[in-house]
Amino acid sequence: MLSDGSYILMVTVMAAAAFLTRIAGSVFMAWVALTPKSERFLEGLSVSVIAALVASLLMSGDVKTGVATLLALIAMALFRSVVWAMLAGMICAAAYSFVFSL
Amino acid sequence: MANILFTRAGVLKGMQRLLPVSLFVVPFGIAYGVAATEQGLGPFQATAMSGLVFTATAQFAALDFLEEPIAFFSLGLVVLALSGRHIIMSAALSRWINQLPVKRRLVTLAFLSDANFADFQTSLQRGENDLGTLLGGGLMLWLAWVGSTAAGAFGGDLIGKTDHLGFDVVMICFFAATVFGAVRSSTRMFLPVVAAMAVSALTYTILPTGWNIIFAALVGGAVAVVYHAE
Repeated sequence: MLSDGSYILMVTVMAAAAFLTRIAGSVFMAWVALTPKSERFLEGLSVSVIAALVASLLMSGDVKTGVATLLALIAMALFRSVVWAMLAGMICAAAYSFVFSL
Repeated sequence: MANILFTRAGVLKGMQRLLPVSLFVVPFGIAYGVAATEQGLGPFQATAMSGLVFTATAQFAALDFLEEPIAFFSLGLVVLALSGRHIIMSAALSRWINQLPVKRRLVTLAFLSDANFADFQTSLQRGENDLGTLLGGGLMLWLAWVGSTAAGAFGGDLIGKTDHLGFDVVMICFFAATVFGAVRSSTRMFLPVVAAMAVSALTYTILPTGWNIIFAALVGGAVAVVYHAE
């Protein structure tokens, strides 16, 4: 069990670090002059950061994660709906777990 | 400069739009509440942490730091690394968000999360420009995260495990679908996306978790600049 002091300090450190990451990019960019080049860089960043997150999650996941993601992409291509993609992936993962637990 | 709005209707719209995703956050919040109380945090402490930190990955990682004396410096670095991708997102949003008055900017960014960032990108592609949706989406995710942490922390034993229901893959499906939509609506994003995914996967085992995402995103940004020039 933590002492109250340790808990408060711990939450303060974590909350400050998390808040810092959320504002840092915006604060930094306020000091940088926007050029067509830096706008393209930011545009590339905005998609790339989510793509990189997906790849990282796939690396840390198992086969089930990969199969479910693939099915979600197929659902997205067919129905053009993010919600349907999530449902397809979830149903796929649940079915996968069910089959392999038999 | 891109034109932006910040309306109350947008906040409500964002809350509504992120409601499905937020429902999928609930199992993670419950799992966190259960894990945190098992590791020695009180139920109120666990809930308050979710409210103030609002970063799932960093909060799970912090559960390894609960032994006294706490390694505060390492803990801070772990949180910085695991939520460092938010620096990138915040920079990518700067073209829009830096047009808001400072106070509004800070409040909106306080609720910045992967899912409302992804949703806002999609809405920009549709030609919408209301930053209220970003804040509203963040508020919805925050409510789901804090509420479900409380449910897990106070009543975890009653709920039990939900692993086999397939919730664990939902977020990655959401992000993958978002990337797919982004590439379809602007095909010049294809190469940056492929580069970012390749670099992220290849550096996954080499770089500490979190840094591979930041590095890969920067490579993707650089590819977007070079590819356009050619």
